[in-house]
Amino acid sequence: MAGNNGGPWGGGNRGGDDDRRPPGGGRRPPEGKSQLPEIDELVRKGQDQLRVLMGGRGGGGRGGGEGGGQGPQFGKGTIGLAALGAVALWVFASLYTVKPEEQSVELFLGKYYKTGNPGLNFAPWPLVKAEIVNVTSERTEDIGRQIGGREEGLMLTTDANIVDIGFQVVWNVADPAKLLFNIRDPQLTVQAAAESVMREIIAASNLAPILNRDRGIIADSAMQNIQETLDEYDSGIRIVRVNLDKADPPREVIDSFREVQAAEQERDRLQRQADAYANRVLAEARGQAAQILEDSEGYRARVVNEASGDASRFTSVRGEYVKAPEVTRRRLYLETMERVLGGIDKTILDKSVVGGEGGSGLVPYLPLNELRRDPAQGGN
Amino acid sequence: MMGKGKFILPFLALLIFIGLSSVFVVDEREKALVLQFGQIKAVKEEPGLNFKIPFIQEVVRYDARILSLDTDTIEVTPSDDRRLVVDAFTRYRIRDVVQFRQAVGVGGLRVAEDRLSSILNAQIREVLGADQVTSNTILSEDRRELMRRIQRQAQASAEGLGLDVVDVRLKKTNLPDQNLEATFARMRAEREREAADEIARGNEAAQRVRALADRTVTETLSDAERQAQVVRGEADAERNAIFAEAFGADPEFFTFYRSLEAYEKALQGNNSMMVMTPDSEFFDYLRSSDGQQ
Repeated sequence: MAGNNGGPWGGGNRGGDDDRRPPGGGRRPPEGKSQLPEIDELVRKGQDQLRVLMGGRGGGGRGGGEGGGQGPQFGKGTIGLAALGAVALWVFASLYTVKPEEQSVELFLGKYYKTGNPGLNFAPWPLVKAEIVNVTSERTEDIGRQIGGREEGLMLTTDANIVDIGFQVVWNVADPAKLLFNIRDPQLTVQAAAESVMREIIAASNLAPILNRDRGIIADSAMQNIQETLDEYDSGIRIVRVNLDKADPPREVIDSFREVQAAEQERDRLQRQADAYANRVLAEARGQAAQILEDSEGYRARVVNEASGDASRFTSVRGEYVKAPEVTRRRLYLETMERVLGGIDKTILDKSVVGGEGGSGLVPYLPLNELRRDPAQGGN
Repeated sequence: MMGKGKFILPFLALLIFIGLSSVFVVDEREKALVLQFGQIKAVKEEPGLNFKIPFIQEVVRYDARILSLDTDTIEVTPSDDRRLVVDAFTRYRIRDVVQFRQAVGVGGLRVAEDRLSSILNAQIREVLGADQVTSNTILSEDRRELMRRIQRQAQASAEGLGLDVVDVRLKKTNLPDQNLEATFARMRAEREREAADEIARGNEAAQRVRALADRTVTETLSDAERQAQVVRGEADAERNAIFAEAFGADPEFFTFYRSLEAYEKALQGNNSMMVMTPDSEFFDYLRSSDGQQ
């Protein structure tokens, strides 16, 4: 029956229809409209029934005195059938099913009576009316990217920058009775509250944290604030989550932001290059230092060894010398002179040739250069 | 009996019709007024079954739920003269149906929305344009307080309409379109500065690292050099000590021995030429067999 699918949620018609309602006059939600018609219908039904009864009787009447006794008999059967049909119809109209994701709200003569759970429910027509509300299904409102994605998502931050925000609010119904009785446009209310809350948060924040690290925090506090706002309206709406899926610089300036990212990477590259250079030259220097040290150690070893060798040789020779100093001394002298004079060019001039004691007679006239050269040439 | 029935049934129908016309149901979602020739006779705010005089009285129903209204986008000028484009939405409900009916007449909600809309616009302008309110106030945590102030003032103004302004919330607080480009330009300039800064810092850091590396290289090498000299010095000292110990035992022989050694080394090879007279000791026997001169 009509009462089962009235209201913004039970049926396909949205709050928008309500807005266009002629003010003052119509003033009833759609399901309310059905209330009077129901009564009218009832009246009409009753009249129809009466007409049938009267017709039956009228027919009998037309028959004159002869058929007078048959009318009531025939009428009784009709009445019984009609009553049975009416009861069946009534039961049928009073039963309704609630799907697992739904709950129903039953109104007894317009007054809240009870909330019905999934399954088969009984609402005696026309005293009790049931409204079915989809409770657990999640509904999603996209905010900040409808209308061509332009303009809508742009928000002003505290530091007078502009940021492009897009987010989704996912909600369902916590209390169907509150939802039905307290707010007229749940969807619009969620949208408006969400947008307002998000703009409030963005307006109280600087640009940089919004773009970088605070997304999760923003989504959380938005969710909390939207929920608080809706609770103030006693709306029976539960915000399931808020997805902040876009928090970007506006299109007009996004290239500049990318350039900053490129510059950050360039900075990193420069630093790494320098690190590489440092690593290379430091390693080289350590190698060189090791070389220098090892060289010096080598020098030490060589010098000390040489000295020890020389000293030891001297000591040995002297040991022999001490035993026979005169002979050894002479022998050493002669052997050395033999080796020395044997290997070099020499010109021996007798004292008489040199002339006199000073030896200055002939020497100045010797062709020293030639004496020096000739043997060399001869040697070759 | 047949004649009676003819009358009873239409009469019954009429009775039912009248009965139904004299009851009406007020839903949870609405408040109703009972009017008699336009005059308010009764107010029915509680849901349930109610009665009226059929045909003479009519029932007018009003929504008891929270209603919504979005304001137009308006431009406000806070006290720092920076213009902002602002819109808001309000949530309100009909508090007093009698007052409401008297204020808006048969125009109902549509008229009420018009009135409320202009009240809100005025209050938004007033609150956001107040002396101590700058655009920075609007763009800060204080926004919430401003919204509350708008709500209070709108509530006061809407009292006469029989309305209850539950909440007023600002939505858009943006710059006018003509200021957008300037803001974008400023944002770009800021980013460019940031990018240049990044690169400059990168160069700075790189140079620091290189300079430090070069310094460390010099330090390492010079330190190695120093240690090397220490080692060499120690080596020389050790050599001197060894020599001193060995040669000091017999200086006279050392002089002789070392001289011979030096002659041998110094007069080596065929690059030396000696002009001599045979009167050295070496030649003693060159002249005579007894070695006498």
